[in-house]
Amino acid sequence: MDLFANLALGLETAISPITLLYCFIGVFLGTFIGVLPGVGPLAAVAMLLPVSFHLEPATALVMLAGVYYGAEYGGSIASILLNIPGTPSSSVTCLDGYPMARQGRAGLALFATSMASFFGAIFGVLVIVLLAPKLADFALLFQPAEYFSVMVLGLIAASVVSSSGALRGLMMVCLGILLGAIGIDVNSGETRFTAGIPELRDGVSLVVVAMGLFGVSEVMVSLRGATQSYAGARLSWRGFFPNAGEWRRSALPALRGSGIGAFFGTLPGTGQTVASFVGYALEKRINRNKETFGKGAIEGVVVPEAANNAAAQTAFIPTLTLGIPGSTTMALMIGALMIHGITPGPRLIAEHPDLFWGLIVSFLFGNLFLLILNVPLIGLWVRLLRIPHHYLYPTVIVIICVGVYGISNALSDVWLALGFGFLGYMLRLFRFEPAPMLIGFVLGPMMEEYFRRAMLLSRGDPMVFLERPGSAALLAAGAALLLFATFSPKQIACRIWGRKSQQGPAPRSSDGP
Amino acid sequence: MQRSKLISHLGPLIMLLAGLGFGLGAMTSLDLGSLRRMGPGAFPLLVGGILAALALIALIQNLRAPMPIQQADPIAVLGVGAGVGIFACLTPIFGVVPATAIAVIATGAAIPGFRWPYRIALGLAVGAGVWLIFVQGLAMPFVAFRWS
Repeated sequence: MDLFANLALGLETAISPITLLYCFIGVFLGTFIGVLPGVGPLAAVAMLLPVSFHLEPATALVMLAGVYYGAEYGGSIASILLNIPGTPSSSVTCLDGYPMARQGRAGLALFATSMASFFGAIFGVLVIVLLAPKLADFALLFQPAEYFSVMVLGLIAASVVSSSGALRGLMMVCLGILLGAIGIDVNSGETRFTAGIPELRDGVSLVVVAMGLFGVSEVMVSLRGATQSYAGARLSWRGFFPNAGEWRRSALPALRGSGIGAFFGTLPGTGQTVASFVGYALEKRINRNKETFGKGAIEGVVVPEAANNAAAQTAFIPTLTLGIPGSTTMALMIGALMIHGITPGPRLIAEHPDLFWGLIVSFLFGNLFLLILNVPLIGLWVRLLRIPHHYLYPTVIVIICVGVYGISNALSDVWLALGFGFLGYMLRLFRFEPAPMLIGFVLGPMMEEYFRRAMLLSRGDPMVFLERPGSAALLAAGAALLLFATFSPKQIACRIWGRKSQQGPAPRSSDGP
Repeated sequence: MQRSKLISHLGPLIMLLAGLGFGLGAMTSLDLGSLRRMGPGAFPLLVGGILAALALIALIQNLRAPMPIQQADPIAVLGVGAGVGIFACLTPIFGVVPATAIAVIATGAAIPGFRWPYRIALGLAVGAGVWLIFVQGLAMPFVAFRWS
């Protein structure tokens, strides 16, 4: 009963014309960004953060979320038509989507991905509706030690999936935490690491860091890179719709993909890319038509798209109920909420039910908009792929400049964003992925707060993090994750086995004469 | 080859210096407090120490097997830097819209095969777009044009 009342409250927020308008703007921009390879949803959300300052918190979040999951729909279009993934999570879709396009079945592949994306997203929304309130209730039992430990787990998870490896990922997280410490310490009022620059007293703005690290440096990487435009044939309506056999072949894989995606989305740090890869790999093992995978199998586009869209939705579960971002884009969502004075965490659902449930219901509208944008209006996006990318990057750069300047009309922020752009570019050159750094930057101040509070409550005993069962379990999970990321399970087994076999013969030899 | 190996050590080395810098900065200029009542320097010291330790491990790993660095593209960096720099320098003189148009043209100049008439047309179009969306639509408090 409560659930329906909550959904009704959410509907009231989501159906207001202004929220619907911004939901549409969000998903439209998301698809736009997703279609164009090179600029990811992260840069797009970062670019829109300054705009969100001028909106109501619920409307702002609905728009930013729309960009985030809209990009998942758009990402598959370039994967299928150009064999270039629009977003990292749609790279698996290339494997079967591009062969389908080459066989003249591009329309069918695009239709199947749109339907699978919609199915996966709705599945993900259902999981949120059922799971998020329960998780939030459970998280209310958390004390500072558990909060600190869950953040440690989230940061470790974000590091281990980093493309540059766990060690470099952890270093990036630490650097992010340290950058987050710049400014006034909330407990003592002392300024830290400002080097006497008055503009840094309030700390470095999240928008400046995100725009610099992901927007500016992304353009530096892509500006002169080889770009490819779509030069294929126009799509005809006749080739769009699957036949009965293809519908049948897609149904169960879509369900399996959605289930896997929904699971991986809830795990902090893993996100859509892991979900789509795991979904594809699993389907390839168990599907009856596994020999057609990689050669244009419809299941090969359905599974990853259902998985990454389900994961895009369920990633909101740890973000909104625990305040732990599942991905870097989610870290920006947390930042957007905090800019509006709302702290994400277990109390969010109780204190801001209209925002939480409004956002959830908006997902349904957003996905309906996306279905319309991606099925009847698919020609629009295909046309977009024909435009040379020369026009995109200079435009992105000035939008970043205008956005950063708009935060507080300070050109020092624009220079600082350029500085972070150089930093991000340097880090990429040295094979450090900047994404974990942003998660560390967002979580760092909260983590410090909980760490200091836990130490105060335990009267200075650091063992509190291991003595409280919840905290110990979370830290153990983090340690296990790190262990498995550093050594493969085979290596760990070999080491244990090797040690045992080394220890094994020893007693026997001592037994002998 | 030898030079690129040496350059690849720079990454972990910079991280080591960053960790040590934050850690030492916290130790020397901030109150560390006690374990019970931690001062503002305690947490940065802890994290700075962890970063330095991790960077040291990465440096040793890199000395054994250097991780190849990516090829830099100085013209792209210069193009983006020029665009942002021009925006920041020209906004107080001419206003946001002209600064935007010139910044677009400057960044576009770094793209090979992008012809001048198109660069100029893009600059003017993006300038008009910024005026329409940010100044008129979102009513952001910018000075769009500064004529005097």
